[in-house]
Formats: sequence, C-alpha cells, structure tokens
Amino acid sequence: MTADSLDPLIHAPARLRIVATLAALPDGASLSFTRLQDMLELTPGNLITHLRKLEDAGYLESETTGNGRASRTSIALTRHGRKALDDYTAALRDLITGL
Amino acid sequence: MDGEGDATEAVSTDDGEGLDPREAARLLAETEREAQRQFDLNPLWITVVMSAIVLGAYGVLWFSTRGQHPYKGPSLGVVGLVYAAVAVTVAASVKVYRRATAGVSGPSVRQQQAEGVAILVSFVLGSPVLQGAMKHYRASDAIVYGVFPAAAPLIIVGTTVLGIAASKADWPQFGAALAVVITGVVAAFVGPSGAWLAAGIGLFIGMVGYAAADAFRHHRAPLGA
Repeated sequence: MTADSLDPLIHAPARLRIVATLAALPDGASLSFTRLQDMLELTPGNLITHLRKLEDAGYLESETTGNGRASRTSIALTRHGRKALDDYTAALRDLITGL
Repeated sequence: MDGEGDATEAVSTDDGEGLDPREAARLLAETEREAQRQFDLNPLWITVVMSAIVLGAYGVLWFSTRGQHPYKGPSLGVVGLVYAAVAVTVAASVKVYRRATAGVSGPSVRQQQAEGVAILVSFVLGSPVLQGAMKHYRASDAIVYGVFPAAAPLIIVGTTVLGIAASKADWPQFGAALAVVITGVVAAFVGPSGAWLAAGIGLFIGMVGYAAADAFRHHRAPLGA
C-alpha cells in the first residue's frame, strides 16, 4: 500500500482538519461556518474552496439561512463523508504499520 | 457553498501533495483532540473544580451539624454559603456549555438542552417540594434538615441522569450516576449529620471517577500517533 491509496480529497492538510473537526460533532449536528473558520484558523476564501470540494464529493452538506450579511451557513458531515474518513483512517493506519 | 463575510483573499489549493502519512496521522490525531476539547461539555478541569467545591460545601454542612443533640440542621449562614457554591458551579457549567455549543446546531443540541431541563427540574422541584411537605406534616428536624436534603437530591437527580445515560448508552455517565444514587441510599442511613459527609464524599468520588473515565475515553489517539 502506498500514499496514493489514500483518498486525495481528504489527504490534504486543510481538508483533513475540516473533516476531522466535523466528525467530532455528535451525529446529526452541524457547525456554523464562522465557528469552523475560528477553530481551523483558515481564511474565508480558503475554507470555502475546500468546503466546496468536499461538498461536491458528497462528504459534506451545507445549509444557508437568511440573506446578505445576516446569512448563516451551517456545515455537517454526511454519512458518506464519515465513512470516507473512517476508510481514510483505516488506510492510514495500515500504511503506517507497513512503513 | 456561501460563507459569511468577504472571501476575496488569495486561496491556497493545498492539495496535499507530498503530505507524509505519518504527518497526516499526527495532524488527524491532533485535530480530533482539539475538536473534542472544544466541543467538550464536561472538561476535566471544571469537573475537578466542581467536585472540590461539592466536597467543601458538604464538608461545611457536616462540620456545622456534627455533635448537635438534638439535631437542628445547618445555620442559615452555612446554607447561604452552600447556595452560593451551587450558584457558582451552575454559572460555570452554563458558561462552558455555551462556549462548547457555540455555532453547533441540530437534534443533538436540542436533546442536550432537554436533558439539562430534566436535570434542573428534578433538582429544583423534586427534593424541596417533598421537604416542604415533610415540614408541613411536622417530621423531625433530623429528617427535614438532615437526612432528606442530604440524601434525596442524590437519589432523585441521580436517577434522572441514570435514565438519560442509559438512553444514550453513555456508560461512564451511567456508572457515575449509579454511584451517586448508591451514595444517596447510603447517606439516608448514616444519621442526619453523617448524611452530609457521606453525600459529599460519594459525590466527590463519583464526579472525579466520571471525569477520569471521560478523559481516558477522549484521549485515546485513533492511530496511536
């Protein structure tokens, strides 16, 4: 097994931290964009870019309520995303064990 | 995906090329630990501080009533001190809860709020109402101001938490709640003054035990990193 076998969508520092942070929430819970940004200390543009990639893959779902500056975006890990992280973690463990 | 605020700054692609698996494992473990710490509703430090306050408060109640013949109960000053200690611990818990759940939404948050209300109702209404009824029907001071207020809240609130923990399969919390209920049962049979001491020691052990079990559960690294 090589590093190429790791899910490239998760195997990037920022996206790995996003997915791991959302996975720490209780099942069914979502996190506001603002709190996620505060926790990860990423710029809004960077965070949006990575979230979009993960959402396009079906790993995340987001919901925006309100309009304009008062809008609030909440992000949650989907079941597919949680499974992808579990698979990534298992692959990483196998990889490290084999090193 | 629409974020909040402006998003016009330079964007890093950060595609992880060259990310070493060991580095990824370290980053994953570190992020999980930090996220769990930030979302934790029962941080170790606050549980330890609260258990020390509880031990101190019950110790003062025991100290102020030991050797009373006949038993009259703690003085108003001591009761006021204990209520102040309870108010401080409740305020600290609310602050920690608000910080941990800031920006978090969903059914789990509503469930936690409902659990909090259930515990508060059982604490505020369960014991004082029955205590008032006992006073009304002229039960002895040893019961009204000793055995009952020391033992009953532990049994009533402990049983409430026991049910909540069982419904969530949260076994460390279940064990701690069971320890609190057993403490209440023991406290009911060691005399009006001894009840305060037994309750304080039992609660202290239950809270510290739960904090230790919770800390152990949260600090297990997923990859051994």
